Amino acid sequence: MGSPVKKIMLCSSEKEIFSVEEQVMVQHSVIINNMIEDGSYNHEESKIPLDCVDSKTLKKVIDYCTHHTHHHNDNQEDLEAWDAQFLNVDSNGLYDLLMAANYLEIRNLLDLIYGTIKNMIKGKKIDEIRRIFNIKDHGFTPEEEEQNRKEYPHFY
Amino acid sequence: MEKKQKSIHDILPHDLIHTIFLRVPAKHLVRLKCVSKLWYSLISDPHFAELHFQYSPAATKAFIFTINYTQAYWALFIDDNDASRIKKVYPPFKNKNLVCDFKVLGSCRGYVLLHGNLNFLVVWNPLTGSNKRLSYSHIGSRRKHKGVSLPKKFHLYGFGYDVSRDDYLVVIAWQDKDDHYHFDCFSLRTNSWINLDAALPKSSGLMEWQPHGLLLNGAIHWLPSSLKSYRDAILIFDLKERTFSMISAPEQPAMSECYYSSLALLGGCLALYYLNKYYLNNDSYCYNTHIWVMKEYKVHSSWTLYQIPCGNFQPLCLSSNGDIIGTASIFSRKVGCFIYNVRGDLLEHIKKLPCQFPFRETSTVYTESLLPLPTDIKDKDNRPSDSERCQTRKEN
Repeated sequence: MGSPVKKIMLCSSEKEIFSVEEQVMVQHSVIINNMIEDGSYNHEESKIPLDCVDSKTLKKVIDYCTHHTHHHNDNQEDLEAWDAQFLNVDSNGLYDLLMAANYLEIRNLLDLIYGTIKNMIKGKKIDEIRRIFNIKDHGFTPEEEEQNRKEYPHFY
Repeated sequence: MEKKQKSIHDILPHDLIHTIFLRVPAKHLVRLKCVSKLWYSLISDPHFAELHFQYSPAATKAFIFTINYTQAYWALFIDDNDASRIKKVYPPFKNKNLVCDFKVLGSCRGYVLLHGNLNFLVVWNPLTGSNKRLSYSHIGSRRKHKGVSLPKKFHLYGFGYDVSRDDYLVVIAWQDKDDHYHFDCFSLRTNSWINLDAALPKSSGLMEWQPHGLLLNGAIHWLPSSLKSYRDAILIFDLKERTFSMISAPEQPAMSECYYSSLALLGGCLALYYLNKYYLNNDSYCYNTHIWVMKEYKVHSSWTLYQIPCGNFQPLCLSSNGDIIGTASIFSRKVGCFIYNVRGDLLEHIKKLPCQFPFRETSTVYTESLLPLPTDIKDKDNRPSDSERCQTRKEN
């Protein structure tokens, strides 16, 4: 290693501090890139507060950005396999990741999650989708629900 | 573990669910409307439908066509991720026996224009079922060639959308008993016919053009019956300005032997294609398909030629890689659905299909959409009859 790697501090909702290579976050997060560029981040004292991202999720997000920074030359298949393994989480974990990626504007992670959710929906029956997304209260009146079931029997 | 899982509604803000839905193809969204009331209201919102149609990266296209002997409408669904699939589709005609002249006249924003029978047309969104019937009997009774239904020659027709007025328009040019030409335009927003005779070009005989009009950039385009004179060959009607103009076709077709010329929309550009006959030596000849694409709209020098080594290739659209997806009918040597790259190399040939494609029958490619008609928006919950729709139109 030559010159020391520049680091930045991220602070989770539990106030846990994560120290990450600056280049890793700048490359992936539009928000952090902007903060570094416009000088609003001070390397001596700043910590970037991420009040809506818990430690578990933040750790995953950092893992994602780090892997994609250091392995972006890997072949497509290996990267896809890594991504698939990375997103092998329960649905709550997936929503947390989505919100963190949205907040930090990490576009390739957003695309990956949207693609995953799209595949969870594709070709599924209504009851299955409700189970996958844990929708217990669908909000339709019994009459409306019956009407839908009658009108679109092939959806159920 | 299972019990701790929260509902997607409790976790994700609505705008993120909204963003997810923008990525989902329209055909899946129709089903998702039944999942929950929240999803129903997000997906049914006309602004969402507009956003989805304009910006969704998940736009899916379909090719709708008719086969007269089966008395049925078919659709080929073109989806990059799925193998292309053909299914029968069922238009909203109440009395199926009345439908004697099945034709597809055009498409616009997820709606297709169908010929129902003598003197009426149907605008229909195959995905949502939203539809409207329009009568053209006032034209029928005064026409020169009575008993000849609309999509035949002696007419020009087109279906399009005027952004400036948020209105769907059907235009018909026709000839009366005294050989005078007329030009009428139906506005779906006002539910009425408007006479635009004054807009017609003075000198032209409308029979010089093929009847089927193609929508692009807010204007309808018609191709001349013969490409021998390429100058001022393509007739254009601008739906906003309500004026006619002309542009030139590429020069080369005038020199070569070309047959069955048609217009298509490829990657958002106007395309002109035809069956091309070329000689190998003095005695023997072959056919291929020439596709000219006008890469920059109304820039004559941008016409670019692609050659597809298949006699009766009908280009439908471009894939996300820019390859050309198309079909070939029963009158060509190769039959089925094809994908060629722009150099003319065959990438894929789907042979096993439940029906054969008709030979250049009226057919159209449409982009699947959730868009409502302007008259649907206020009345969507009480599903009014056509007559009620006419009464509510003045509120707009």
